Amino acid sequence: MANRAAICAVAQIPFESNLWQQRVQGMVFPVVKSIMEQTGVSFGGEKGIQNVVTCSDDVFDARTISDNGVTDEVGAHYQGEEKVAMDGVNAIAYALACILSGHDDVTMVVAHCKESQSEDRNMCTNLAFDPFYCRPVGLDYLNLAAMQARAYMDVSGITDKHLAKVVELSRKNAAENPLAIAREPVSAEEVMKSPMICDPIRDLHVYPVSDGAIAMLIANEDRCREFTDKPVWITGFGNCMDSYFPGDRNLASNFSLKRAAERAYIMAGVTNPEKEFDMAEVHSSYAYQLPMWCEGLGLCGEGNGGEWIDGGGMEKKNVNPSGGPLGGFPIMVGGLAGAAEAVLQLRGEAGKRQIYGAKKALAHGTTGAAGQHHAVMILENK
Amino acid sequence: MSEYYGTTVEDIFKTQNKRFRAEGSEGVDAVFAYDVQGEGGGRWKLTIKDGACATEKLDSDDFGEYSVKITVDAETFVGVTIGKIDGTEAFTAGKLKVDGQIPLMMELPKLFTKYAPPGKEVTAADILATSESRFQPENAEGLDITVGYNLAGDGGGQWTAVIKDGTCKLEEGLRDNLTVCNIVKAKDFVDLMLGKLDPIVAFGAGRLRLVGDMEIAQRLPKIFSKFKSNASEPVEELIMLKKIISVDMKYSTGPTMGKFLNGLKEKKILANVCPKCGRKQLPPRECCAVCRCDVDEFVEVGPEGIVTYCDIIYYASPDPLTGETRETPYGALFVLLDGCKDREALWHLLKKEDLVDVKRGDRVRPVWVENPTGSVYDIIYFEKVR
Amino acid sequence: MNKKHKKNRNVAIIGVGQTVYSSHREDVNQPEMIHEAVSLALKDAGLTMDDIDCVVHGNMELFEMVHQPDMWHTIGDGAYGKSAFRLTTGGTTGATLVSAADNLVASGMYDVVMAVGFEKLQEGHTTGGITNMADPLWTRHLQTGALTGATASYMIQEFGEERAKRAAMKHRIDMDKHAVLNPNSHRSFGLDYDQMDDLIKNSPQLAGELRLIHMCSQSDGACVVIMASEEKAKKLSNKPVWIRDHITIHREENFSTMFTYDMDERDPTTHRVAAERLFERNGIKDPVEYFNVFEMYDPSSWWGLDWLRDFFLLEGDEVLTMVESDDFKIGGKIPVNPSGGVTSANPIGATAMIRVAEAALQVRGDAGGHQVPGEVNHALASGFGGTYWTVLFMLEKNLDWQKGEQ
Repeated sequence: MANRAAICAVAQIPFESNLWQQRVQGMVFPVVKSIMEQTGVSFGGEKGIQNVVTCSDDVFDARTISDNGVTDEVGAHYQGEEKVAMDGVNAIAYALACILSGHDDVTMVVAHCKESQSEDRNMCTNLAFDPFYCRPVGLDYLNLAAMQARAYMDVSGITDKHLAKVVELSRKNAAENPLAIAREPVSAEEVMKSPMICDPIRDLHVYPVSDGAIAMLIANEDRCREFTDKPVWITGFGNCMDSYFPGDRNLASNFSLKRAAERAYIMAGVTNPEKEFDMAEVHSSYAYQLPMWCEGLGLCGEGNGGEWIDGGGMEKKNVNPSGGPLGGFPIMVGGLAGAAEAVLQLRGEAGKRQIYGAKKALAHGTTGAAGQHHAVMILENK
Repeated sequence: MSEYYGTTVEDIFKTQNKRFRAEGSEGVDAVFAYDVQGEGGGRWKLTIKDGACATEKLDSDDFGEYSVKITVDAETFVGVTIGKIDGTEAFTAGKLKVDGQIPLMMELPKLFTKYAPPGKEVTAADILATSESRFQPENAEGLDITVGYNLAGDGGGQWTAVIKDGTCKLEEGLRDNLTVCNIVKAKDFVDLMLGKLDPIVAFGAGRLRLVGDMEIAQRLPKIFSKFKSNASEPVEELIMLKKIISVDMKYSTGPTMGKFLNGLKEKKILANVCPKCGRKQLPPRECCAVCRCDVDEFVEVGPEGIVTYCDIIYYASPDPLTGETRETPYGALFVLLDGCKDREALWHLLKKEDLVDVKRGDRVRPVWVENPTGSVYDIIYFEKVR
Repeated sequence: MNKKHKKNRNVAIIGVGQTVYSSHREDVNQPEMIHEAVSLALKDAGLTMDDIDCVVHGNMELFEMVHQPDMWHTIGDGAYGKSAFRLTTGGTTGATLVSAADNLVASGMYDVVMAVGFEKLQEGHTTGGITNMADPLWTRHLQTGALTGATASYMIQEFGEERAKRAAMKHRIDMDKHAVLNPNSHRSFGLDYDQMDDLIKNSPQLAGELRLIHMCSQSDGACVVIMASEEKAKKLSNKPVWIRDHITIHREENFSTMFTYDMDERDPTTHRVAAERLFERNGIKDPVEYFNVFEMYDPSSWWGLDWLRDFFLLEGDEVLTMVESDDFKIGGKIPVNPSGGVTSANPIGATAMIRVAEAALQVRGDAGGHQVPGEVNHALASGFGGTYWTVLFMLEKNLDWQKGEQ
């Protein structure tokens, strides 16, 4: 590849469980404006942004062509805009492709989701299944996750106690993150007493209903210094699709995550994922997913999730310093929020939760039910 | 009378009353006029009232009063009726014209069962003639047999299927020393093969006799695949799953749209003004798409204004927020309210009665509901100031 | 001011697959229908799924009411174990998928990418689905799908009723005559010019002077395009078709700057902006001279006729003169939509990709009954969607345009 691409700026609004006071456009414009203010980037002409990569979802927005609702806000009037309808890490990857292809010098990624707009997010995710079989039997992202949790717990030695610890630690991190929703600390005991909503998933194992928007400015190596003196390089990316029918998948196998990670590691030259990263943000919308995804990413030994948590793996490896999705990341935006945290950490701008000397970070996002599709991104500040 | 696809126009109208479905005609009081042109055509009038249908052939082109009139050439008419031609496409291409209350056309499938051309009677000889193509060699491996058919009565006769070396040949007449012989009336044989007569019942009642090797007799349904009549239903069973999908949504207005909708409660129309380019936005939006900046300042405009454009919509489509079909025609009106300029138009509806002569520059005013609630429907429509 | 065009590496279309387009594909479900096009594209390229690095999928979710449909469709598009993206941008989706595949290959991240666009419009309510794109608090109560009589209105204003209406209908019949030659067409009526006066007067009105015959169909169908890097393309294909450049131009959400009685009152169209920027950065002075064929996204004959002047940078009544002198017909000066275009088949999420696919087939000389005569070295293709958004592509038979560029 002739060039490299860097994230030059990030902007987020504090996530909320019911951002009733704004419509979608009112969530999106502040983050775009913040990017313009931080970097002085313009639109069009020889130097400006010619194409914006957005990330949102028609069903959650209840709007055909959800990106049409934010054309004005993302600055696309008489410019281009393309929407990635998957987790936001894939939107950064597509922006990376726009830059590396030479088609663009500078572009912006803007993601939003307002989960609170629908009466019930499980009704939305039920629609993500085929209308003939899986939808009528009542599958949604929550109950398929529960099946996966059970399958994974059987092979990894993970117990209800481990899951409680994951929530406790995530909340502890979220408490230091002013953008997070669930910032009140909870003890493992409290988690274990929280109601079982879809066995083995308890109420506190599930990410809160979340609304929010994020924007990032991405530029090529030649131009990134116009916007920042602390560029964060996108050095690796990989994604992968698993099969669809739950019965066709080995839900505990991390099939697509392992392949996505392998692709990202090859691109970034990572040979020992367990040792090389200073931090990782994994897209664990349910507590069991944190150790499970860490296994798939090679951050902990396969089948060792339980021991890894007991041995303080999550703290030692700096997994989800932002608090992660359990602190409140909206669907679609989730992986992008993790990447945004990684950028702040690599720039030394993470405030109280700063990991000193962080150089190399991993950001992960998942799309579909029970991790059917995974995306892995490597970010570095050198 | 000219036939199209083996059917005449007359055939179709003759069965009209028989195909009428009283249960589907509730509340329908309508006259359908058919002007079927060209060779084999004619004029018919269907009067549907009080759960009954009267079909009348006319001698002149005076249809009298009708609700809807269909003008079509005979070939297209027959083709559409028997499903050889797509009705929507014929309509779009102008080969089938509808005048009057077009939505009544949608009622037709409820009012009448589908016309089915009378099928040609299948004979025993027709069925046996397909023996060779229905023969399944993989199920007749190693067999060297003769199967006789001794069919009595009308359409009867005698045939032998000779099966040897994985092939099957049908001969007329009965061979000697048949492996197995079917003895049955020709009519019962046809019913058996079409699945109208149960073989166990026929056998038990002595209407079907099998003479010879009973083991071979039992294998016959495998040696020959099922006979399929051309007139029978489609082979594969395709199912259409019908669902209405709805997820309740609550849309926030945000402060910008909220201010505008709250203004409507007081029968005031508020635009917001871009601090950079001065463009007014109606309804107000969070940012100016041109200048990419916040738009916080509001001014009251209107309530009267002038028409910049009015789209007259004739196509009845559902309002996706209510699911209800919109009444047509309706006027989708762009109005430049007093105090606005250039392209700062507001999109709303025009009063139906004003559709006939609406033009650019017409002065219009909003007609408000009595108790506005802060919604698009606080203004019922705009009407011309006459 | 315009950024100079550059590309990290060349990308070619090496395979095209299309289902037949039809109003009723009850015989297949969504992934099965996609699978048909995928199989045909692989066959066309002489590849198997093993050769594909990445699958890019797109359509509009609220037409069939399936959320994140790429998950279910994995069983039809072969994405299992592959890298996979989903992009959607309304009517332009199919074109965006090709842009995306082009970018993904040119970036060096993937060598062979398969783009999959589809729609099964009969499974939902198309006009309702399109209306659903409007703001729920205001315009969703007012809009009726993509129907407007505005274009007819200002063309009539500009050119007079008789001439404008006849030109639009002539164009409609020209397109139908093309559709008859394309076995994949959903609708080919066999219209003839002697029906012109009748159709102008009697075809049912949808919105103003936009009549039923002018408007596109609602179709079921899928289209697949396989794209590869220069190195791979030259190895795998005898007839690579090079993607020279593409541009996407959107405009604001608000329609009131577009719907007018008089063309001078509207904002510049995205079509003209896209054409001007794309042609300028590629040094194209006279598009009518340069291109040998144009596959355009023409949702209606009025729009088709109006937008041709934007894409070809025509002035005054040139577009009318051209349609009147058969310039846009197969064998004409610059054939437009030899496939029959969008008025003959419109499975929305695939429609814009079909434009690129058909343009590529023309360049290859493989368009069969609707192949335009003569050498096709330069092709143009467009996509349309959203609130008057456009995507514009330039395809080339040879890489010779690059000689002067370096």
